[in-house]
Amino acid sequence: MRVVVCLKQVIDPLTPASTLALDRNEKKIRAGVTAPPVINGFDEQGLEAALRLRETNKDIEIICLAAGERFSNDVMKRSLAVGADQLILVQDPSLDTWDPYPIAAALAAAIRQIGGADLVICGRQGSDWDNALTPYILADLVELPLLTLAKSVTVADGKRVEIERVLADGSMRMNAQLPALVTVTSELGALRMPTVSARLAATRKQPRQFALAELGTAVVPGHAPEVVDLAIPVTGRSCTFIDAADGPSAGVRLAETLLQAGAIRLGGER
Amino acid sequence: MTGILIVAEVDAGELRPEFWELVTVARAMSATLSGGISIAVIGAKVDAAARQTAGIGEVHVIEDDRLADPWPEAHAAALIQLSGELAPQMVIAPRTILGAEMAARLAVRCRWQLVQDVTQIEATADGGLQGVRPVSGGAVAATIRAGAGPWVVVPRPRAFAPAEAGTGAESIAPLRHSFAPPALATACETPKRIAVEGISIDRAKTVIAGGGGLCGPEPFTLLREIADLVGGAVGASRVAVDSGWVQSALQVGLTGKTIAPDLYIAVGISGAIQHLIGCSSSQVIVAVNNDASAPIFGVANYGVVGDWKEVMPAFRDALAGRTA
Repeated sequence: MRVVVCLKQVIDPLTPASTLALDRNEKKIRAGVTAPPVINGFDEQGLEAALRLRETNKDIEIICLAAGERFSNDVMKRSLAVGADQLILVQDPSLDTWDPYPIAAALAAAIRQIGGADLVICGRQGSDWDNALTPYILADLVELPLLTLAKSVTVADGKRVEIERVLADGSMRMNAQLPALVTVTSELGALRMPTVSARLAATRKQPRQFALAELGTAVVPGHAPEVVDLAIPVTGRSCTFIDAADGPSAGVRLAETLLQAGAIRLGGER
Repeated sequence: MTGILIVAEVDAGELRPEFWELVTVARAMSATLSGGISIAVIGAKVDAAARQTAGIGEVHVIEDDRLADPWPEAHAAALIQLSGELAPQMVIAPRTILGAEMAARLAVRCRWQLVQDVTQIEATADGGLQGVRPVSGGAVAATIRAGAGPWVVVPRPRAFAPAEAGTGAESIAPLRHSFAPPALATACETPKRIAVEGISIDRAKTVIAGGGGLCGPEPFTLLREIADLVGGAVGASRVAVDSGWVQSALQVGLTGKTIAPDLYIAVGISGAIQHLIGCSSSQVIVAVNNDASAPIFGVANYGVVGDWKEVMPAFRDALAGRTA
């Protein structure tokens, strides 16, 4: 059984907003300092879901697939270090975009190129643009049933995928016939750490590179709104740290500060 | 032709309150879109909810037993069907777990433009839409522009004031459509739900939330005492919910609720990206954490670097002393 996990390389979401550089001409967000990019955290959780599946279904082949403008091999090869069998990178300048349609079209074309997949797993959204749309477009383009927001993923007798979907006030079980596409949510849990030997072995593996042109993707007309401007929101949020000799006095001072600022109204309305 | 179609989400027979925020957006947009406002009510046993929406516009109901559970594919199929029949210029859906998914499926299936998570929206002179939305977990505000419609608009929760309920139109019968979906490729079981206790975090003016740093369920009693003093609600991060310390209805963040209280106090919450997405629109954010490098301080107005076990009891006592 072949599982394709879609990965996106993004700016580290923990990069402080103050160090982000906005390219207002190109409408791009760049890490202002030399902070290395990361694999989108939600996609890493998709890879974790695939690795857990392989613990109970030994004959699973895990292929990680990413589409983007350019990649840091060191960053993307973390997927090989934790146990992915293959890493495929589709690179093209046109894929540095906010528009999820070209990204999904590139992923769909690559999946076709390798002969399809029994299960495609995506993170619920990219932490850069927060669109949460690529999996929907991909499922539409490759015509797969779509199950979303899984906090657990299991495959029954190689034929059906079952998930537990999170809800705001609980969860629900869902299933679909394979082949299918599943998105995972942070509730699934973090990607495991690679072992030292696996990390060393991964340094010898190389990603397969696909050029967008050789995949022959049809141009999907742009349906996403365009970004016309970017700004760091003025929140007035430079953090004022409460200075105090010890914890209890900090607590008292915090209460006084919030009362004075009018942020707390005692016995106030709800 | 329909101008604007509002998705009225019905949850366990109740009209979800987000509906009234969508009405505010619809009324503002109807100044430039002809065709008036219609309402889509989709579910099983939706009569009471449909009646509540009747003062707002023409009500269209798809009622079917297959729509009893929040089954995304089925609910999206119903919305896609109604959108085909009514040919709206704009569909407005709530940014709930089900509503956002219906919006995405509709937009992708029909290749309509999805204008989501907007805190502002207006029509442009050339017949398009322009809006502002947070991206990168709220670190950046993007101005986005969509060309000619149809559009699917998903306003950011709490960004628009709820409209007043209409009156006097409750006797107008809704228009019923029979549910005729294509073959559905997914299946679902009835959800396991956990009942909500206390004030709902998405309505409270003050929310005091606890995270992994609290190391157990007991400290939430202290947070509850503080919440009671200030008339607020207790919230939690994903770690606290996943560890079983509090119920999932208290969860703030991507999976939980997006909230925008006047005051948000985060205790022992490091501020993972999925948490910040849910709270970054709060007016004032206070963080108490023993790790000075925790990302929560990056969005906080006030911070205390210290052990909550020492800080928070004194904080409570100082507030209690003021009320005595």
